[in-house]
Amino acid sequence: MSSRKKVMLKNKNSDYKLKVIILGDSGVGKTSLMNQYVNKKFSASYKATIGADFLTKEVLVDDRLVTMQIWDTAGQERFQSLGVAFYRGADCCVLVYDVNNQKSFETLESWRDEFLVQASPRDADSFPFVVIGNKIDVDDGKRQVPQKRAMTFCQANGNLPYFETSAKEAINVEQAFEVIARNALAQEEAEEYTGDFGSSTIVDIGVGSEREGCAC
Amino acid sequence: MSDEQDATKDLEKGFDVVVLGTGLTETILSGIMSVEGKRVLHIDSNDYYGGEGASLKMSQVFKRFTEGDVKPPPGLDNDRDWNIDLIPKFMMAGGELARILRNFRQVQDNVQFLQVAGSYVYRAASGFFGTMSPAIYKVPSSASEALTSSLVGFNEKRRLKSFLEFVAAYDGESPLYQGMDLEKTTMSTIYEKFSLDKDTQDFVGHAMALYSDKDHQNFYARPTFNKIRLYASSVALYGKSPYIYPLYGLGELPSAFTRLSAVHGGTYMLSTKVLGFEHVDDKVSGVKIRFENPKKDGEYLERVIKTPRVLAAPSYVDEPKKKKRTGQQVVRAICVLEHKVRGADKGSDDNCQIIIPGTQVNRTHDIYIAVLSSAHNVCPKNYWLAIVSTVVETDNPLHELKPGFELLEPIKERFLEKPSYLWEPADDASDNVFVSKSLDASSHFESCTDDVKDLYRRMEGRELDIDGLKVPEQSQD
Repeated sequence: MSSRKKVMLKNKNSDYKLKVIILGDSGVGKTSLMNQYVNKKFSASYKATIGADFLTKEVLVDDRLVTMQIWDTAGQERFQSLGVAFYRGADCCVLVYDVNNQKSFETLESWRDEFLVQASPRDADSFPFVVIGNKIDVDDGKRQVPQKRAMTFCQANGNLPYFETSAKEAINVEQAFEVIARNALAQEEAEEYTGDFGSSTIVDIGVGSEREGCAC
Repeated sequence: MSDEQDATKDLEKGFDVVVLGTGLTETILSGIMSVEGKRVLHIDSNDYYGGEGASLKMSQVFKRFTEGDVKPPPGLDNDRDWNIDLIPKFMMAGGELARILRNFRQVQDNVQFLQVAGSYVYRAASGFFGTMSPAIYKVPSSASEALTSSLVGFNEKRRLKSFLEFVAAYDGESPLYQGMDLEKTTMSTIYEKFSLDKDTQDFVGHAMALYSDKDHQNFYARPTFNKIRLYASSVALYGKSPYIYPLYGLGELPSAFTRLSAVHGGTYMLSTKVLGFEHVDDKVSGVKIRFENPKKDGEYLERVIKTPRVLAAPSYVDEPKKKKRTGQQVVRAICVLEHKVRGADKGSDDNCQIIIPGTQVNRTHDIYIAVLSSAHNVCPKNYWLAIVSTVVETDNPLHELKPGFELLEPIKERFLEKPSYLWEPADDASDNVFVSKSLDASSHFESCTDDVKDLYRRMEGRELDIDGLKVPEQSQD
């Protein structure tokens, strides 16, 4: 499982490359959260995609330089159509709901189950999840999920770290991702390296195009 | 929630193209069309991507091939360790699929490749030296390798070397070469010119040019020369063999192209039934689908999706109006081994392709064996997967695979797929419903990319410019 990451380490400045995936119903603010964290930007217009598979950010965790790849669902969650490849090799899974949308909270558990089935981490019980309740900037009268209820859910599911954020107002986003990075790194270190390619090496398919002249 | 955010409402706006089935051909095209800015809806009736080109977990394989509720035995029971192709193929490193991948950096973020360690060809006992027992031999890929190959006898080595040098010096383009018209000269004439014996002709035609039937000597030389050159240049790219193969199985390829499409705005729906097509003036105008309401579990919705064009895998259209049988049937068997394949077991070089030329075992069509190990993350350590396949010639297809099984014994588990028909489109798609071909019996994807190019030409009215596909690097704004 970690073989993919082992490969990505080559020729990079950072010590670790971490894959973080963000799950949750469409419209809860997954893309906005990553955009706020990485680009310090918020756009009010809804865009299902960011035109890229992931955003990257280099961060220091206890003096270690890590590169976080934060993967976007690219809208494939809208009809529950994320393929198994998306989940592969994740070091941390962020579960996001909208505090003003009861249904988005209720589906958190099925997103978590879906992750465990598809990613099938070696140790499901210790795999790091982080729960985020987003859109706390919306006025109090519209809030449908009380903080207490969310915290009870997190406790019942193995004391999952919980943050209430506003991607729009940049509230708590930095703090949440700090914990995400830390837990992802711990997970990456705990995973044994299984990658063993024998004498074969990963092919960098991006190179070789110059040599293509010799092909037919 | 705005309409734009409401997934079901968004469907009602219609699409530039609706794509049915997520096999490799369909997903490459949907990736390309999304990158070109088209509004694409991509549907699959399964709950996974890849269609017939998917890679399955061991529990899915048991469910598909065994009667009743048989669970995988210990050792085979950890699903995360297995990714088993239904249709085994390898990628030519210098081939067209690799060229498409080189132009999409984003696809490379989603799938990684490892070389296949070896390429082997089978020779029967009755071979050149009657004393040789049946065995597999490494396929020489260059003139210099021909000199050290134990595949051919002493005098034949030099003749093979001259032949391969002759082919390597050809420029691939002009019909005239060294006083011969390669578009009018057959391979048998050329083989005669170099005095290559029958067995060597067989190995050149089957293991290098990768023809799977016995008539290749009668084909004109130019296409064969180019096939041999593709083989040699593919070996030259990364060494060892001409093939590369994705980590975690072939199913990664269609998945990676769906991501390419999705990040460029493509809409994806798995587990969605196609109920039929609607037409206006003999042209398709919509696709009727049935799917689970994303906002209400267990509730199913039916919608007609407006679209002027449809691209469909064969399983989504009806025979005989839209698809017909090619006449070929393919039989495949998935074998789980607890040992390396004899003859292809040096060190960690334990994954390979083995070609058994039909002529060596009194058949018309070749038998292919794809051998994969834990190096490609398709099975656990100390297990090997070998998928044996061929074109059906008799009414006992299991027996036809026997020469393949003999090279693999003892076989721990064997799953035999019912022979499947290969399909091709039955009409000229004047109704704007374009149908792809089944993945064929060959051991690589070159005919699949031919189909991609053909479909693109017919749908878009222009040639697919593979090198013009490069997506500009996205700024992260």
